[in-house]
Amino acid sequence: MTDPGVRCEQVWKRFRRGEHHDSLRDFLPALLRRGRTRRTVAREFWALRDVSFEVRPGEAFGVIGPNGAGKSTLLKLLTRILRPTHGTVHVRGRQGVLIEVAAGFHQDLTGRENLFLQGAIMGMSSAETSRKFDQIVEFAGVADFIDTPVKRYSSGMNARLGFAIAAHLDPEVLFVDEVLAVGDLDFQKKAYARMRELVRSGIPVVMVSHQLDRIAELCTHALLLDHGTVVRQGTPQECIAHYLDPDRGGFVPHGDAPATIERLRLEGTGDVCSGDRVRIGLCGSIGEDGVPEHIDPVVVLVRNASTGAFVSAIGTSTSDVKLSIGPFSLEVELQMNVPRGIYVVQAVVWDRRAERALGAGPSLMLQVLEGVPFVGPIQLNGRMLVA
Amino acid sequence: MARSRTREGLRSLINPGSREIPLLETPMTATDQTGAAVPPPQAVERVPIVTALREIAAELSGYRNLLRQLVIRDLRVRYKQAVLGAAWALFMPALVVLSGMLVRFAMAQMTAGSFDRTTVAALALKGLGWGFFAGAIGMATPSLAANANLVSKVYFPREMLPVATVLAQGVDTLVGSLLLLTLAPWLGVPLSTGLLWVPLLLALLFCLTTAVALLLSCANVFFRDVKYIVQVLLTFGIFFTPVFYEPAMLGPTGAHLVMLNPLAPLLEGMRLAVLDGQNLLLTLTAPSPRGDVAAWSPWYLAYSAAWALGGLLVSALAFHRVEPDLSEYV
Repeated sequence: MTDPGVRCEQVWKRFRRGEHHDSLRDFLPALLRRGRTRRTVAREFWALRDVSFEVRPGEAFGVIGPNGAGKSTLLKLLTRILRPTHGTVHVRGRQGVLIEVAAGFHQDLTGRENLFLQGAIMGMSSAETSRKFDQIVEFAGVADFIDTPVKRYSSGMNARLGFAIAAHLDPEVLFVDEVLAVGDLDFQKKAYARMRELVRSGIPVVMVSHQLDRIAELCTHALLLDHGTVVRQGTPQECIAHYLDPDRGGFVPHGDAPATIERLRLEGTGDVCSGDRVRIGLCGSIGEDGVPEHIDPVVVLVRNASTGAFVSAIGTSTSDVKLSIGPFSLEVELQMNVPRGIYVVQAVVWDRRAERALGAGPSLMLQVLEGVPFVGPIQLNGRMLVA
Repeated sequence: MARSRTREGLRSLINPGSREIPLLETPMTATDQTGAAVPPPQAVERVPIVTALREIAAELSGYRNLLRQLVIRDLRVRYKQAVLGAAWALFMPALVVLSGMLVRFAMAQMTAGSFDRTTVAALALKGLGWGFFAGAIGMATPSLAANANLVSKVYFPREMLPVATVLAQGVDTLVGSLLLLTLAPWLGVPLSTGLLWVPLLLALLFCLTTAVALLLSCANVFFRDVKYIVQVLLTFGIFFTPVFYEPAMLGPTGAHLVMLNPLAPLLEGMRLAVLDGQNLLLTLTAPSPRGDVAAWSPWYLAYSAAWALGGLLVSALAFHRVEPDLSEYV
């Protein structure tokens, strides 16, 4: 068994919320008053509760979750910026960190001076920085301004130089936060390619991102956090599907739906390219009272995971599928005429009159890779058949 | 029993656990009064002093390049911003010497005492020493808080920031010292064996300054008004340190009292060793109207050395203790 490069064991992290005395002027009188005043209750909250995982060489670990889930706190614990309240964090080897990379820049110093300083902050020796100097400047595309004070840089140049330095460290463990929103389109492409190269070089990687398609593409394992608790841990597909659970889409559970949908399953292999046809198997049952006219027992919705926007819907009424009382089994075929990205396919019981879903049906995640270049329009040519 | 928040905060400040905390084999079922899960209790292991010192040493040597780069940064920024450029390094000590000359001249007028080149040399020597201390502390105190964006986003041994400002101030003082060296023949500084004491005194001064810098820089993270208090103390501290005057001028008791300032024996020892060629292992008594004054005693030096070395040890350990909390509070 290989030694994990990154290990978190039952990690808890507590923060104190609200004001604490941060000046002596407040603190000393408070110290004197202590006996006479009412005790104040420390308002504290747990940013992380009992998080455990391991990342081995060759694995890329994606951490997803809504804002405030504790993702950045987790990354700060891994990079030793914060210390866990309980539990242990162990990271072996030299850390490469792609987190708000221009943090160490001093505005009055030139790009060259900052490059050496930032290199040192990230743990590079002077010789190493000198050796990589040209490469970094070239990558950042700031060659003409390298002897100009950083305060005259555009924010894009600043971020580009920061990323370039971080990206040229030879790390043994890599941590990635949301950093790719820097620079213009060309630079973003270059940065993403560089990141992919680092991730695929076989070192342990921990990556935090809201760009779920990137997590799905780059990561081998994933963790879904919410309010500091691990909601799900497993493959990126599982975690992303869970994250994009219909409950989050605003569908409330509904007790008395006339039909239930039990299972949704993707037929064939998982690799789907733009323009490919996918077949989805579906089964459920119709209640004994039958289904009223205005209700579709099955509607399959397709949503873009990054934007949450609905791409397509296909239902029993639009496909002229009649289902009788008792169990049923359907097959849905969709042609994924969509841009690359992550899509959520979800089956619900749909009330046409109220225009809402009756409860949350099962869902699955579809990752669409670049295939035939997508030029639009989005038309999934959906077909629904009784299997 | 729940203590007040203040107390709780202070206790966690002075008694944080070690970085690697061993876990107890406790099932994860505990809850607090509100029913929310709480972590299992675990033993807080105290790190032995030797281990802590070894950690500090390992971190400092591992990040040597960062220390160098931070010193270079501090110097560059200082000289870039100042219109006077390198003259900046002389500005502060020159001001101290001029004020001292004014004070001493006034004293000489009143008591018909002497005011000669040796007085100026003494002022310059002690002024440089004081300038180093005051400059370094003034820069080091806000060093962590001023680099909040760095401290909260990247890990590196936090000691680097205050220590780098002390070193940068050392370079500044070196420039001033070189000027003093060129003026030495004119100021009547003799070549004597007393000069051999200078390296030891400088080393102790550096240790003392670093100790104070470490303590104040992290105190300033937890209490943001520390830097204002420090500025006031540094402004008036010069009067409680024998820079403009000699301790003997304060009489038998006064001399002893002023020598309680750990900085005093270092500066006074510097003056005696360099200008009078005094062997600091020997006692020196000066006559005064109110009896003999112990102008120098080897115990003074031992006292300062204890402060400098003990202070450095204590402050380095204290800093190491609170280091993991700095990024949370900064």
